[in-house]
Amino acid sequence: MRLLALLVGIALPGFALAQDGTWALTNARIETVTRGVIERGTVVIRDGLIEAVGADVRPPADARIVDLAGKRVYPGLIDLTSTMGLASAPAAGGGGSGGSGTSAAQPGSATVRNVGLEPGRVIANELRPSASDIRAARDAGITTVLVAPSRGAFRGLSALVPLRDESAEQYVVKSPVALHMGFQGAQGSGFGGRYPATLLGVIAYERQSLYNARHHAAVQERYRAGARGAVRPSYDVDLDALVPVVRGAVPAFFAADRENEIRRAVRVGEEFDLKLTIVGATEGFRAIDALKRADGVVVSLDFPRSTEVTGWSYRATQRHALDDSAATDSAVRRTLESNAATLHSAGVRFALASGGLRPGEFLGNVRKAIAAGLPRDVALQAVTVRAAEIAGVGAQLGSIEAGKIANLVVAERDILGDSANVRMVFVDGIRHEVIPQAAPERRRGAGGGRGGEREEGGEMARVAGTWDITVTSPQGENRASMTVTQSGAALEGTMATEMGTVQVTDGRITGERVTFSIAVPISGQTTTIVFRGTVDGNRMTGTADLGAMGSATFTGERRP
Amino acid sequence: MRMIAIVVVSAALGAGALPVTAQQPGATRDTARVLSYPIPPAGRLVAITNATIMTASNGTIPNGTIVIRDGKIAAVGANVSVPAGAQVIDGNGKYVIPGIVDAHSHSASEAINEGTQSITAQVRMEDVLRQDALGLYRELAGGVTTLNILHGSANTIGGQNATVKVRWGLPADSLLFQGAPPGIKFALGENVRQTNRTVLPGQERRYPRTRMGVEELLRDAFTRAQEYRREWQEYERGRKNVKRGQAAPMPPKRDLQLDALVEVLEGKRLVHCHSYRADEILMMLQVAKDFGFRVASFQHVLEGYKVADEIAAAGSGASTFADNWAYKLEAFDAIPHNAALMAERGVRVSINSDSDERARRLYQEAAKAMHYGGASEDEALRMITLNPAWQLGIDKRVGSIEVGKDADLAIFNGHPFAPASRVEMTLIDGRVFFDRRTAPTLEHLMELIRQKQGPRQVTEVVP
Repeated sequence: MRLLALLVGIALPGFALAQDGTWALTNARIETVTRGVIERGTVVIRDGLIEAVGADVRPPADARIVDLAGKRVYPGLIDLTSTMGLASAPAAGGGGSGGSGTSAAQPGSATVRNVGLEPGRVIANELRPSASDIRAARDAGITTVLVAPSRGAFRGLSALVPLRDESAEQYVVKSPVALHMGFQGAQGSGFGGRYPATLLGVIAYERQSLYNARHHAAVQERYRAGARGAVRPSYDVDLDALVPVVRGAVPAFFAADRENEIRRAVRVGEEFDLKLTIVGATEGFRAIDALKRADGVVVSLDFPRSTEVTGWSYRATQRHALDDSAATDSAVRRTLESNAATLHSAGVRFALASGGLRPGEFLGNVRKAIAAGLPRDVALQAVTVRAAEIAGVGAQLGSIEAGKIANLVVAERDILGDSANVRMVFVDGIRHEVIPQAAPERRRGAGGGRGGEREEGGEMARVAGTWDITVTSPQGENRASMTVTQSGAALEGTMATEMGTVQVTDGRITGERVTFSIAVPISGQTTTIVFRGTVDGNRMTGTADLGAMGSATFTGERRP
Repeated sequence: MRMIAIVVVSAALGAGALPVTAQQPGATRDTARVLSYPIPPAGRLVAITNATIMTASNGTIPNGTIVIRDGKIAAVGANVSVPAGAQVIDGNGKYVIPGIVDAHSHSASEAINEGTQSITAQVRMEDVLRQDALGLYRELAGGVTTLNILHGSANTIGGQNATVKVRWGLPADSLLFQGAPPGIKFALGENVRQTNRTVLPGQERRYPRTRMGVEELLRDAFTRAQEYRREWQEYERGRKNVKRGQAAPMPPKRDLQLDALVEVLEGKRLVHCHSYRADEILMMLQVAKDFGFRVASFQHVLEGYKVADEIAAAGSGASTFADNWAYKLEAFDAIPHNAALMAERGVRVSINSDSDERARRLYQEAAKAMHYGGASEDEALRMITLNPAWQLGIDKRVGSIEVGKDADLAIFNGHPFAPASRVEMTLIDGRVFFDRRTAPTLEHLMELIRQKQGPRQVTEVVP
């Protein structure tokens, strides 16, 4: 029966998207999220939708009955910060250095793909999630993800995707959900590279592009009103994608974690009257006034390291004398984990999201946020109905109500309790059993999972890939990109620096720790720079020893 | 008055009011404070008494008093009485100078060079300000109160500058010097030509590669700006003269790069031009003359002494180093007498830092103009106060100790040009942003450790 339905679904796409027959989940403790808790009730699922929910609902005659014997039913969780199913980004085209007459910003005018500068990129068209990624998320209770690239100034138009086994374009719940924006420049840029390379250029580029879109909208309007005698609008998918954004019809999801990023994003949003959602806000507790001016807030639970936080450098200069650093560290960590709690008590409404963490870590951090003071019910709303509302699908998802999509989670105990035990997940009414396992959680796939196990004595970090390295010294910031391959504990590759491209040598990995060196010409002399860092998933932080020129700190971020 | 209001409001909204949610575990007052800076209280009525006041505009008052009301200087002189209720700072034995203005800084910014194109007039330093750069605190400790945050010198026309006050501890937005005229960075010579950059085989070299190319780019950019301005003027004309039944004309496409250059043409945006050689300075003056704008300041301008008359005649300022040279070919002809010589010929000269390190001892840099070139004490003081303020178009607000000006002051424990003197206190808008008695200096930390901990830990303190 189930197999047959599946075959039909595949054979006739569009005929019936979601079908796994009719189900009745009885004797369940139902957390509807929007309409309280039903201590002992029944949920009826038919053709992928919730048909009925309540204490007195009788299972229909044709339903398969699952007696949950007191197990709990929740709406499926929604993660608004996923890269699941996106292929790793293709390389950007050659550098377009600006000579005389180069105009400031021309989205869409390039003949090569301009990764990260593609407002017209439709994510729904390129979804290829791996089965293991889908399963890992679903096993944690996540049934829907919003997919968008994690880097770039204009990242594209996101798609809200249900985590079905055969997840693909035709099952997308909504597309486009939003235009995703951020503060990263063109890939492969730098001195003499492609504009915009720096934060300076990125914000100017975004501003110019949004002005271009306004102008484009005006030309289109004039042409629509009367084509005869009017200027014909250019055909430009990227500008076309920006038009509904500057009109406020399609929201802008702006990735901004740190205090100043949040303030910058809100300023851009207000300048163009965008329907703005801040995504990230891990330092939101420092910018509550700004967050209150945004239309929506998605709080990432990928807590930053204490050393990455605004104000840290000042504290670091004076902490030695007065209190021991361990106490300061843990106080900072508590502050970061209580971000969501602080925002909640300040009256900010938000969704919680993984920020790219693996599903298990995501839910672990939801628990940390609750431990830090976020009311548990608010946390549950934040990963269900609030997320659905921010994605513009509050009528279809996020709670257990008749008529909504049957994305449900069945758990042994509280899903946000100490050890959630997801037993069963329904996506579009299709049942997926979760086999309890003792094995460590699966690693996330191409979507940008954290490399490396972190248990003591566990595997060593996985460092292979392309990293954007930022070296911060008293002289300022220097950026480089490093591409390395790993074989066992050895690391080799190249680094493109402002002083040229050089070999990465002496690369070694011990657990999470990594060391490598480069030799670069500085002021006519070859200087060896030794990097010593710690890898945490797609991040790397540490120190860069510049020999006679002192030392610096560096951070690395792996490109998805 | 308005400034104070802005600062106070910002403090209430931002870091000053970090959410205190004591009822929740983990979000207590202490943890919230862990990541914040010390925020100085706002002083509404302050008096500095019995101090030697070097006004920069009206000589030195040996035993004077300054009264500050709502962030502005309300009175200054030898016979000024202290109003009731004022917070009194005893200036006995101290020297007070106007807060130092650094006309060339890259502190407080998260990016410096958008080096992908040689003309990036559209980028704005204001967009990338940060409040957590430690350099800012060190600058306060050196008596610096105002900074001209400039784009780097990689591009012929770099980004739009941001004039800021060093309001350390407040959110980045509140650093901005409200009312300062906008400016823009230009650059000439080797940095723009990228002669000192290693370019590997296969890598493209960016245009321009010669000084000829730099001039061509400038002229081309301003010619485009003129055409763009004409387009808008025609549009405005057409819009006003629309006849009934006719469609209004479409506005031209807005170009943020050309907007900034049109502002330069119209004298609304000050040009700060990185330069070294005499010939390129003359070239820039000629281009500016041809297009009808003034260069507000030449930056570095190490060969300025060779063309001081021409710079003075054009009404441009010069912002230079005291004795820093030979770090590249175009910096070989520099002499430490440059500042004093240019001043002698009537150029308004400032001494800048271009460095977070040099910025904390600009008063010593100014003293070098006396030592080498024989500048007067007043003239040397003006090189780090009133003159840079004039170059930035903010000399009506800061740069000297005069009634009505912002109470931006640095208090020294001795004569500011004496080698062993140092800053005790720095005020901005009448508010103490730096006080050496409570500052976490190494000395201060050592003292605390001596009191509290054994000698073993002392070695760990050295930064």
